[in-house]
Amino acid sequence: MPPEIKPQVPKDNPGLTVVGQRQPRLDGADKVSGRSVFTDDVVLPGMLYGKILRSTHAHARIKRLDTSKAEALPGVKAVVTAAHATGMSANSTDSVAKASKRRTGKTIKLKTGETIFADDVVTYIGEEIAAVAALDEATATKALELIEVEYEPLPAIMDSRRAVRAGAPQVNEEFPGNVWSQDIDNYGDPDTAFDEADFIMESKFEAGVTHNLYAEFHVALVDFSRPDKLKIWTPTQTSYLMQHSLAPAFGLSVNQVQIIHLNTGGAFSGRGAVRPHHYVAVLLSRETRRPVKVFSAGDEEFLIGRALGKNRYKTRVAADKDGTLRAFDMTCEMDGGAVGNEVGYFGWMAGLSNAWMFDLQGNRFQRKVILTNQRPNFLGHGGMMVSSNCAVQQLLAKVARSLDMDPMDLLLKNAVEQGHTGLSGEVFASCGLKECIETVRRESGWDDKYDKLPPYHGIGVAVGAMAAGAKGAFKHDTSAAMVRVGEDGLITVYTGIPDMGQGTHTTMAMIAAEVLGIDANDVQLVAGDTDLTPIDIGAFAQRGTITTGNAARNAAIDARDQLAVYAAEKLETSVDNLRFAHGQVSRVDDPQQSLPFKEVTWGTLNSMEGRFVMGRGFYNSPLPYGTTSWSFDAQVAEVIVDPETGQIDVLKVTVAHDLGRTINPLAVEGQIDGQVFSAMSQVIYEELVTDDGLFLNPSRLEYKMPRTYEMPEIAHFMIESNDPYGPFGAKEVGEGPVVVAGAAIIAAVSNALGGTLMPEMPMTPMRVLKAIRASELEKSQSQSAA
Amino acid sequence: MLLPDHQYVRVDSLKDCLKSLRENGERTHVVAGGTDVIFNMRLRLFQPDIALSIRRIAEIKQVEELADGGLRIGAGCRLVDLAENALINERYPAFADSIRAVASSHIRNIATLGGNICLKTRCWYTNNSEQWRQGVKECFKTDGDLCHVIKSSSLCHAINNADTPLPLIVLGAVLTLQREGESRDVPIADFYQKDGMDHTVLKADELVTHVTLPPCADRTVFLKIAARKGMDFSQAAIAARASGTGTKAGEVSLVLGSISMAPIVLHEPARLIAEQGITDAAIEQAEEKVRAELGELTSLYARAGYKAHLAKVLVRRALKALREM
Amino acid sequence: MAKHLISLTINGDTYEDLVVSDNQTLLDVIRGEVGLKGTKRGCTTGACGVCTVNDANGDAILSCMTHVLEWDGEAITTIEGLADTSDLDAIQKAFVHYGAVQCGSCTPGVIMSAKALLNTHPQPTEEQINEAMAGVLCRCTGHVKVKEAIRNAHRIEEVVSHAAGD
Ligand SMILES: Cc1cc2nc3c(=O)[nH]c(=O)nc-3n(C[C@H](O)[C@H](O)[C@H](O)COP(=O)(O)OP(=O)(O)OC[C@H]3O[C@@H](n4cnc5c(N)ncnc54)[C@H](O)[C@@H]3O)c2cc1C
Repeated sequence: MPPEIKPQVPKDNPGLTVVGQRQPRLDGADKVSGRSVFTDDVVLPGMLYGKILRSTHAHARIKRLDTSKAEALPGVKAVVTAAHATGMSANSTDSVAKASKRRTGKTIKLKTGETIFADDVVTYIGEEIAAVAALDEATATKALELIEVEYEPLPAIMDSRRAVRAGAPQVNEEFPGNVWSQDIDNYGDPDTAFDEADFIMESKFEAGVTHNLYAEFHVALVDFSRPDKLKIWTPTQTSYLMQHSLAPAFGLSVNQVQIIHLNTGGAFSGRGAVRPHHYVAVLLSRETRRPVKVFSAGDEEFLIGRALGKNRYKTRVAADKDGTLRAFDMTCEMDGGAVGNEVGYFGWMAGLSNAWMFDLQGNRFQRKVILTNQRPNFLGHGGMMVSSNCAVQQLLAKVARSLDMDPMDLLLKNAVEQGHTGLSGEVFASCGLKECIETVRRESGWDDKYDKLPPYHGIGVAVGAMAAGAKGAFKHDTSAAMVRVGEDGLITVYTGIPDMGQGTHTTMAMIAAEVLGIDANDVQLVAGDTDLTPIDIGAFAQRGTITTGNAARNAAIDARDQLAVYAAEKLETSVDNLRFAHGQVSRVDDPQQSLPFKEVTWGTLNSMEGRFVMGRGFYNSPLPYGTTSWSFDAQVAEVIVDPETGQIDVLKVTVAHDLGRTINPLAVEGQIDGQVFSAMSQVIYEELVTDDGLFLNPSRLEYKMPRTYEMPEIAHFMIESNDPYGPFGAKEVGEGPVVVAGAAIIAAVSNALGGTLMPEMPMTPMRVLKAIRASELEKSQSQSAA
Repeated sequence: MLLPDHQYVRVDSLKDCLKSLRENGERTHVVAGGTDVIFNMRLRLFQPDIALSIRRIAEIKQVEELADGGLRIGAGCRLVDLAENALINERYPAFADSIRAVASSHIRNIATLGGNICLKTRCWYTNNSEQWRQGVKECFKTDGDLCHVIKSSSLCHAINNADTPLPLIVLGAVLTLQREGESRDVPIADFYQKDGMDHTVLKADELVTHVTLPPCADRTVFLKIAARKGMDFSQAAIAARASGTGTKAGEVSLVLGSISMAPIVLHEPARLIAEQGITDAAIEQAEEKVRAELGELTSLYARAGYKAHLAKVLVRRALKALREM
Repeated sequence: MAKHLISLTINGDTYEDLVVSDNQTLLDVIRGEVGLKGTKRGCTTGACGVCTVNDANGDAILSCMTHVLEWDGEAITTIEGLADTSDLDAIQKAFVHYGAVQCGSCTPGVIMSAKALLNTHPQPTEEQINEAMAGVLCRCTGHVKVKEAIRNAHRIEEVVSHAAGD
């Protein structure tokens, strides 16, 4: 049991003046006027253009690689190949392995030692073979054409099911049978639960290959012209991991690597690691001693970007006739692509998260990561949890139907509450799940609609939970922040967390402003440059608000304490008799006695003692390992299926999200909207169509995502459970909603088809038609049986 | 990525244009709005020596009313202007709908009718970057002799994905094709060929200058099915026309698009409806006759089975819509 | 390749004697020779709208899909030209106020598309908004707050002063 900790502010009457206000983004004016600088906008003096030659074969031996003609082309400044990167591997997440070992008792394998360039064998289409740097883009492109590669094709394996059969081609000799990893995690006592349960239901579910499709394509601008300083401009979710990956590869110390991430044009879990193109740009800059920009043009983005691969689930649920859920058992076959890497770990997170919402006896998750000659995979928006939750929640609706029970009642009956200890030892210090379920039930008009809608019109519910904070995924979940006070009362927050659009920087400003009792617009941010900002492991694992937010709060408290010395002197009282609010510092016992905040900052900084105010704050979750806080979420989706075309029209999504405390409702709504969009996009539209490892639709036109017309009405409800660990009680809203929206939509489609389980996502029209045929078949069969 | 090297030539009159085409037609790609040409040049699928811009030729940018109640539309008219044109909306509503169905408003702001009519066929084995294409064998479109989607075929099966030709066919539109010193009129129904490579009868030195629409008092409809509304090529589309009112229909025409190398005129289904009227029973029978007229289908952009299915759905929906008019 | 001298008016400033080549698009020159980086490079194939600028009529134009030579002597507006020196344009204010901006990478193109719509329809209907904005892609906002900002742009002064007065 963790120590009993008290919330930072009371739940109902917290006395907050900034937190909870609709605060427009602080960088909004820059972004709407074209002033915001993104990496592709930066042009450095003497900058060269880098281009990468990529494998056109899924599996082949490189018999001959001749770069001499490219090297001889005027304007070409460097050509690099595997020979320039010997012994270098694209490793980034070793610390992840350590933490997960503590949690599961065993190490989850993370890396195969992926190389920067293919050495003698290429194992997927798009794998890096060589790269050039030239004076301009056209010359670089021409140079690529002059590189001669002779391939000897090898048998390739594209499907993970075939890859494990005897005699299948081997992707990597180190992994016989193409099994990269195989794990079973048992939490609680699933065996007994399955033995003793009244009944068991099961289903199969598949999810296709995706890309994160953020607005800004991958790009890296590197200046390594000085051997002791490596500067990289690039969009990222984590400059910390970039520093830690690149420094050892190039014989540098971590802080000799400077990451400048400026603005990051969206990430959606797709920018959480260093990729080969980063290393390539560094190599090119090292060779030429000039800045080099590598930009992925057009369809190349789909080869650089790594998202989800094919995942195949088998889900079993054990339940009793009274609707008690006893256990889950999920098996997942994961296509690890040619590299494997972290995907097994992401599977583990999905397996854990399946169970968080319910009071279960057992949970088992078995996963097998299989190597194929497909693109290496990573994360989609919402990780694998979007698809695993689709599998689970549909099945729960079926369980409810079989018991003649309303799915809402089934969820409510089994939902966890505050104080619950989960099967892997997690303690929910705050939990508003039941309130979320009740809210969406009421607000969506569920009771008037469920099973009362016309044919092909459906309604579905799903729930979810999301860990906030990276403890458990990482050994240390560290963030630091600094708050500098200007004599004019303007505050500067220094933070290392990237803002990829989620609004974290504005949140940090609001948190500091709340503590100091000033307007958030009087706070500016210094961020996005590791030479200036304090340590922060990055924007992932929903750690921004809770971890960096606590660091920012601590830094602001430290600054406030320093200002209090002067204010207390002036107001002739003690430092703990002061209140900072509404731009004033006043005595608690006599609020009439006050000083404007700006007078306090002026006085402090111009005092004889020369008090320079820099607040320092730090946060690393107090638990030895594991997450402190979880968000909870329930959603109802309503859809209409066109039985003729198989197209799905999502009418409305009602979202209730327990985020602990709403810091900025404007940003929270934006997060929810974007995640409903993304989830809908993933479960209905997004899929990379492949032909022998070749993506046939690598474009923003043919990789389908919905647009304006397709967007449903979205109703947001924020449930505030006031988490004791979170800053002012806040948890997360960064990924909690996306893993529920998809499941709610799929449950609604299933409901529209009379409870037929949807076996696959995305639910393309063709697949919907197939499901309709299956459901009609089912109906006619059950009729004839009756 | 820059466009490939080429010479950009702009002509401001039809005369200069036709002269330029006579001199350099084989080495030229005409650029009207450029929304398809630039796209494919960027991918190095088109690498003309000359990009001939016809955007400023005033002679092909008018909409004229004809004495017979028809319209003569310049091929250089922008889609956005045609979509808003009162005469077109009034006289040819299905055509107007098809114009609005093309791509996005951004594209319609610059794309032209001529460009839509002449739009090259598309295929996802070729309409990707040059570097991407190195992963596939050369095919008809890239100087090879193979079709990726129907391996046994001696023809390219890329798809004619344009939307406006379908209503133009049912409306009996006639295209005016000009070369220096010569002009010929070709009914749009005869303009297209079942070959993804050589998809129209247009010669390298010719320009489509005008589209003439005869008057039409019949009911017409255009329907499009795409993965998303507002910004997408059709997975299948239909234009349909019927004389008469209610279930009575003396003359019927049905044209499907985006499922093959050329628009498909459905004969048997149209004959059936003309004979029996637009009754539910006749519609059902007509639907059954559709598949036989589609020829060999490919799984380009959408599964062959889905296209065959959509073809039936569209025939049914179009006929029912006509009956309601 | 041959070079050409053209003149281009961008945001009211005439750039005389711009040296461009045949294979450059309007986007290449706005970002390159002219050096205005507000207009972003996206898919460069017409599908995402991030490179949108307005032509002299105020229509939304994809700058990636048109030869720069096509624009010799013409005038365009880019995102940098919307605000006058002291104040943001109503649509820009609305985007900030309604939270229609997140990562900001698509924002310039999205705003120029919205601006084109508002030029002709100051109070657009839902259908008009959907139609005008279907050509852009914004994963961050899912277009929800983008639409809200467009719907309310005509009364943004009132809304903002009301919010400030609260
Ligand atoms: C993202 C995207 C989405 C699209 N969606 C659709 C869609 O939904 N439906 C659809 O139909 N199209 C679509 N298109 C294709 C294209 O934009 C349209 O077909 C458009 O109408 C083409 O017109 P344009 O003037 O831009 O043609 P251009 O690109 O200028 O020309 C197209 C072809 O026609 C030739 N040509 C043009 N004018 C003439 C003429 N007068 N005489 C002879 N030849 C000529 C050109 O040489 C070229 O081969 C889309 C394109 C993109 C990039």
